[in-house]
Order: sequence, then C-alpha cells, then structure tokens
Amino acid sequence: MQGIGSIGRNFFQEVGSLFWFIARTFDETIDRLRSGRVPFRAASFFRHCERAGVDSVPLAGLVSFFLGLTMALLTGYQLQRFGTERLIPGLVAIAFTRELGPLITGIMLAARIGAAFTAELGTMQVSEEVEAIEAMGIEPLRFLVAPRMLALFFLMPCLSTISNVAAIAASGLVSRAYFHIAFVYFLELVRDGLLIRDIITGVLKSFMFGLLIGAIACYRGLTVRGGAAGVGTATTSSVVTAITAVIGFDTLYNIIYTGFFPT
Amino acid sequence: MQFNEKSVLDGLSFEVRPQDRLVIMGQSGSGKSTILRLILGILQPSSGSIFFKQFEITRLRRRKLQQVRQHIGMVYQDSALLSSRNVRDNVALPLEELTDKSRQEIDKIVDEKLDLVGLKDSKEVMPAELSGGMKKRVSLARALVLEPELLLFDEPSMGLDPVISSVIDELIISLSEKSKATSITVTHEMDSAFRIGTRMAMLYQGKIIADAEPEEFKRSKNPVVSQFLSGSTEGPILEGSQDAIATK
Repeated sequence: MQGIGSIGRNFFQEVGSLFWFIARTFDETIDRLRSGRVPFRAASFFRHCERAGVDSVPLAGLVSFFLGLTMALLTGYQLQRFGTERLIPGLVAIAFTRELGPLITGIMLAARIGAAFTAELGTMQVSEEVEAIEAMGIEPLRFLVAPRMLALFFLMPCLSTISNVAAIAASGLVSRAYFHIAFVYFLELVRDGLLIRDIITGVLKSFMFGLLIGAIACYRGLTVRGGAAGVGTATTSSVVTAITAVIGFDTLYNIIYTGFFPT
Repeated sequence: MQFNEKSVLDGLSFEVRPQDRLVIMGQSGSGKSTILRLILGILQPSSGSIFFKQFEITRLRRRKLQQVRQHIGMVYQDSALLSSRNVRDNVALPLEELTDKSRQEIDKIVDEKLDLVGLKDSKEVMPAELSGGMKKRVSLARALVLEPELLLFDEPSMGLDPVISSVIDELIISLSEKSKATSITVTHEMDSAFRIGTRMAMLYQGKIIADAEPEEFKRSKNPVVSQFLSGSTEGPILEGSQDAIATK
C-alpha cells in the first residue's frame, strides 16, 4: 500500500511540475512580449521547425504509407467476404484522420525529436550552460524551451496531415491493385466517408500532442541530474513518458469526444 | 545553506567593499561555489539574507532578480560557453537578449571585449575548438560585456597550466581595475589566489574563519589557515575527514 501511495504521489508531483513548467514558459514568453521585445530569435524557432518538421517528413510519410498499405490490405480481404470492400477508403481515411495519423506521428516525434531535445538540454544542464544563461539574467525557459515547444506545437498538425495523406494514398494504391476500385471512385468514397469534424478533431489532437511532447522533452532535459549517465536516463524517460502521455491523452480525448459525438 | 539535510554553509557572514578583489579559499566541497550561486540567486539559502547594493537578493521576485543579475558577471569553472554558438555569438548573447542595441553596436562591443582578452581573431571559432585558457578568456569577455559592477569567478585557473593560469589571473586583475568592478573569486589554488586578491578569506566548516589582506593572511596564526597555506597533512583540516581515513 505504501509503495502504491508513493508511486501515486510521485505521479501527481510530476504532473504538477510539468504543468508548472508549461505555465512558467508561457509566463516568461508573454512577459517578454509585453515588454515589446521578441521572446526568442526567429532563426532559433525556424531551426527547430526544420529539425522537428521538415526533417521528420520522410519518416512520418513512409511509416504512414506502409501502415496505410497494410491496413487497406487486411481490412480489404475481410470486407471482400461480405462484398463491402468499397468501405476501405472511408475506413482508412477516418481511422487515420481522426486517430492513427496524429497518434503515429506523435509517437514518432516523441522518439525522434523528444529524445533529441532532452539530450541536448540535458547536456547543456550538466555542463552548466543553462545556469550560465540564467546567471546572465536571461530567462532559460523563454530562451531555450519556448522555441522548441512552439516548433512542435505548430509542426505536429502539418506532419499529421502528411501522415494522413500518405496513408490514404497507400490505401488508394491497394484498393486499385487488389480490389479494383478506381482512383476517382476511391476519392469520392473518401470524401463521402470523412466528416469535417474528423479533420478538426485530428488537428486539435495534433496541436495538443505537439505541446505535450515538447513540454515533456524539455522538462526532462532541464531536470537532468548526475552527468552523462543522467542525460541517458532522462532521454529514455522522456521518450517513455511522452509516448505514454500521448496515448493517455488520446484516450481521454476520445472518451470526452465520444461523449459529445457518439456516432 | 543545506543540501539533503547536510549543512554546507552555516552562520556565514562577510561583506565585500566596492572595488575589492576578494578571494575565498577553502577545501574542495567546502561550499565556495555555493556562495557564488547564492549571490546570483540561483540557489536559495535555508535562512539568512544576501545584499547586492540596496537589493536583498534572497527576497527579490523573479523579474527583479533577472534585472539585478545583469549587473553581475560570472565566469564558470568550466567556462560554460554555449556549445552551439561560436565565440562571437557567445559574447554577444547578453547584448542581443537584454539590450536594444543594433547589430553594429553589438559587433563593436564584442570586438572591444574580445580584443581585451586577446581573442579578436577567433570570433568565428566554435567553443569545442578552443583550448581551456581560450574558453576562460571568452567566458571572461562574455561576463564583461554588460559592464557589470560585480564579477564572480569560480576557480578561474582550474585545469590550466601555470603560465596560462598567470595570464588569466593578470587578465582578471587588469579587467577588474579597468572596469572598476568588484570581484569575488573562489579558488583553492594558492598562487592564483595571492596574485588576484586584495583581500583573502578562508572558508572552513561553513564559516569564514579568517578574513584579511594577503600579507596579513599569510602570517595568520589560525591553525586551519596555516595548514591550508602550507599544504601539510598534519593539522585540523584532515582530522575526522574521509580524506584522512584514506591516507591512513
């Protein structure tokens, strides 16, 4: 019982610290804006956008393409038995737009960029670079965390969209090759199957995933203790925490969403 | 000041007068660097107060503390240069972030400060390509760039050969004099300490046990100071410490 209590206490402590971390980052950033100055250099923001977004396009696109192929193939053969293979386009499109696109992209970004951010900030922390920034009178959260977190926040929906398009394109190929659904008819079925709210919900989720991954990665990086070994531990922990948080948040979102829109 | 219920600084009290070059000496792990972090407000003491001019550092709100820190320059033991930025960008960072100066003005100040530390031609070099002494000099230039009133040095000659160590010491003296800044240096390197200091203090078991001008400090009758200055293994410093147990 004591063990469970301690785990629970640590969990809530971590969640509280993470929220405080996000709030403080926003506070420092808004404070800076209020004083009429840019919160961070545009070059820094675009550098992180390039790393997190542009450089992740091939990975997100390729993985989603393969998943789209597999999903269309597996569901197609099952649906063919009932003569309903024309449902493949709608099924893949809805599944990816609402759920799999943001989720897969979130998991990939947590592993690829979240780990990089944690390792980078963790190394800066152990080599006293972060403290030196603070000692100069510069707010480290505004200077180091805000551009990273915002880059992930804005880039995540773009990557999710690329993931969705890749998966739908892959299922289009499978539908044409194995189930004789012409591309024009395929697109028509996708349009019929998808609702605007599926797209909106996917985009909203993506924004939140981006914010979560960025915050967790930076938080883990800036709380590193114990030299190189600490950086390694924090990086592993950052990836695990970010992936768990993304899936957990997705579940919570779906529970609330289906409460409002059951169909 | 406590870490994990272990008291590091206890009943510590000292005052630094304008343009003093105070050197605080003490054993490794005695809390010398902690003093500098307390002055900067990076660590919060469990009790007591720290004043910088009229500001009580320990009670300042975050925003005011950030402003006060701009009047204090710090040179870290390992230089703490931002590894992703070249020398120019490292030195320019406080100016870019904390002032409204134009790029031309910033470049002029950076050139001037790098010239002072003899590194004007290394502006484009990355920190990883610099030697230990050069890193210290860049760090010194960065600390000076906002014309601070107080300079803090954490083991400035640590890990440097005696010649480069002397160069850094001379730089600290000349730059402190030129900028009329007050400085606090923590070190356990004797030569360096006596070269830099206009006032010496000895930190032992969390307290300042001696505080005097260099010549007077050398003649101190305090057994801890005498043992520390002579480097003898016989005396109060090692009694009961883990290092003493290791030597037996």
